[in-house]
This record gives sequence, structure tokens and C-alpha cells, in this order.
Amino acid sequence: MKKLILLSLSFFFVFTSYSSAQIVGENYEIEQQLLASTKQLNQFFKRFNGEEDVKGRTFEPDDRQYRNERLRKKYLSILFDEEDTDISSQAKNDFIERVTQGDNPEFLNLHSTDWFAVVNTTFLYKGKEMPLLLYMKIQQEALGYEWVIADVAFDPYKTMFDKQRGETKVFLHPMSHELDFMNLRKALVKGGVPESYTLADYKPDFLTIFLYEVKMGILQFQTVNRMNYHFFGIDGWYFSLTNFNRANDNSGWLISDLLQVNTSQKEDLLKIIYEKK
Amino acid sequence: MNNQIFKRLSYVVALMAFFAVSTQAQSPVDPNREKAIDSLALEKVKDLGKYIAIIGNKDTPFSEANRVMDRAEELFAPGSEMGVSSLASEEIKYYKVREYFQRLMALNYDKVNIEWYDVQYISDLERQPDGRYVGVVTIYQKFEGTTADKMNYKDTTKKDITIYVEKKKTQIAGRTIEFWDVILGDIRVSETSV
Repeated sequence: MKKLILLSLSFFFVFTSYSSAQIVGENYEIEQQLLASTKQLNQFFKRFNGEEDVKGRTFEPDDRQYRNERLRKKYLSILFDEEDTDISSQAKNDFIERVTQGDNPEFLNLHSTDWFAVVNTTFLYKGKEMPLLLYMKIQQEALGYEWVIADVAFDPYKTMFDKQRGETKVFLHPMSHELDFMNLRKALVKGGVPESYTLADYKPDFLTIFLYEVKMGILQFQTVNRMNYHFFGIDGWYFSLTNFNRANDNSGWLISDLLQVNTSQKEDLLKIIYEKK
Repeated sequence: MNNQIFKRLSYVVALMAFFAVSTQAQSPVDPNREKAIDSLALEKVKDLGKYIAIIGNKDTPFSEANRVMDRAEELFAPGSEMGVSSLASEEIKYYKVREYFQRLMALNYDKVNIEWYDVQYISDLERQPDGRYVGVVTIYQKFEGTTADKMNYKDTTKKDITIYVEKKKTQIAGRTIEFWDVILGDIRVSETSV
């Protein structure tokens, strides 16, 4: 009987220590993944710049490791999405070499004007849920900094002010002044095309329309869906960041697009990102 | 209750010891101070973690859970919200802090276990236009719920917690002493894949 109890007890201890070791092991593995993940944009900046250790502790500027070139190369190599993007290893290496270039290294700064966020949101518009992009920038104000809305992209706005040109367009005839512009009455009507009566180079300001419609309750904010960050601060390069929620080390805020761009390509890219024609 | 008062007093006294020397209003946070503020912020986040575990625990009596909710709410700036999303839906749902705690308490599990992974990340402190400082503390929480019919539910959520750091003044023995205080703000809760 004693033997049986002893055997059961030793079984119990072996089993419990095995299962707790398994739990500790599981936790350890997860914690290593979480540690590796680029958890905040702040951490992306710090890793990019080589300003923190592997546990996320900030280096003081007088620390030997602070912005150390070798450390930066190591960190930069893990800041790329490895699964869903087709960034070539050549482009990646060229970029890393460029930003860590001994005599002219490049660093990122939260307060820089060379980057912005594109926030994909949902608004209620005339009783219907619709996607709307907010372009956000960081700016200095009073004693500190703030994020502000720099522009918007919203499908209903895109065609709302497309004006016809040429012989078939409606117009206010060139002698309207003699009639005290009495024909305005027929031009400016609900459901009409008032944009037809504007200057040839008229460009609508979508942000102002957006602000007006929010104020009037025509557009009602519902939620944020996702966001990306676009960086143009490294001369000759563009990259964007996306948040990857994955159960491995290659997760968090990572570079999802990387392109070498000249000035005109940069302009074209900005037009695409801002959804401008 | 006495423990709470004692804890708060020790926060204030500890911070005064660190910061009482400064006289400039909302002056920049130097690295040493920032470390002390980080520690205080982590303390508050840990307190929040303890409160969440008590509120979520099915063995906690209703009246006690309500008292703890009051304590937890005191950690937050007025109007703070929780923005919650899951792996199934990227849409963020917004709850007032109290409402979030109430939903946690009402979860339909027989047994609930809430733990925190030993991984946290504290951002730099950035100055806002009003002169106050703001930062974000990221922590990870493991939730396990078991229903009466022994069905298990597990998830791990990332919590990005806003912290506001503000210089305050208090009177002690007729002397005005300045200290830095930390208060929690909005929290973004997102389910992780781990």
C-alpha cells in the first residue's frame, strides 16, 4: 500500500512539474515573441535609430551602444515584413547601407515633417457606413506637438465636383452682367452642377467639405479600422509601415513597402497615396 | 482602504523626493526623472492589472467588485475610454472605462483567470500643446475563462495604455511642493495572434 502511495505521489510530482514546466515553457516562448515584436511605432523609431537594447530599455546618448552602427544594422534587418511583401534582399541591403552610412547616417524623428499616417476609418454618411481615409501629420503647437488632419479621401467627394469642360458644358453667358446676373437663379439649384460656373482651374478643398459635414452631423465618425505610415525622409527612398499581428517574431510595426524613388517618382507616389488624380 | 491611502501617500512622497527640486512649470523631463516617472506609470498599470483580475474573478462578491471598480476608475483621467478590437473584427468598439469593467464582471464564465505576461514597453514622453506630457505603456494580458460545462476560452490581448504626466503642487507644513503625477487615459485593447 505504502509503495502504491509513493508511486502515485512520485507520478503526481513528475506530472505536475512537467505540466508547469510546459506552461513556463509556453509562456517563455510567447514572451520571447512579444519581446521581438515591434510593439509601438516609438519602438520602431528606437530600433531604427539604435537607441534601445533588446529588452526595450533606452540607451543614454553617452552610452557606447547608442546609435551604434553594428547594432543598427542588426535591428534594421528585423524591421522588415518577411512574409507578405516582395521587398528584394538587394533593396533591403542597399537601404540599410544607406541609413547606416558611416559619414552620413539617417535617423528617424517623431517630430519630422517627412512622414504621415493614413488612417482608414468608417463614417456614417447619409445613413450608410462608408470608408474614409484621413491623412494625419504631426505638428508643433504651443508647448508641444499634436497630430492633425492634413487631408481626406472620400469616394463621394471624388466625383461630386468633376466639372464638364468645352462646348457642351452649361455656363453663364458672357452678357449675364447686363441682366444683373438674373440667370444665377437657374444655375444654382439643388441637384444641379454649380461647379460648372467656376474658374477653369477650380480645385475643391475636400478637407473643408469634410469639416463642414462633420460639424453639420452629415458625416458621423464610427470607427478606425487600420492605418499605415508613410516615410519620405530618407533621401532617395520611400518606405511604409504596417502592423502585422502574427504569432512569431516577425510581428508588430514593420516595413511593408520599400522603394528607391527620384523626385518625380516621389510626386507620383504621393498622388497615389493621397488618391489624387 | 487604509492600504490605498498609504499607497497613494507613498507615491506622492516618493515622487516629491525625486522632483521637489524643480521650480519651472512643466519643464522638460530629464532622463533620470523620466525613469522615475516610468516606474510610477508601471506601478499604476500594475494596480490596474490587479483591479482587473479582481473584477474579473467570479469569486469576488458584487459589492467588493464595485468598490474595486471605483478604485480602478480613480486611476484614469475623466472621460477615458477603452477601444477594443478582436482578431475576428478589426473594427474598434469604444467603451467608457466603467462600462468596460462592468462588461468584464458580467462575462458569462464560471471561472476566470487573468494574468499578465512579463513583457512591457514604455514609450518616450512627448509634450502636448498644453505642456503636459503623454506616453504609452504597452502590456500583454492573458485571459482564460471556463464555462459551467467546462468549455475553455483563451485569448491574449495587447493593451496600449495612455499615461499623462503632469506637474502638480501640494502644501505640506505651509510649504508648496511640486511633484509629477501620472494618470491613465484611453486604452487600446487589441487581441493578439500569440
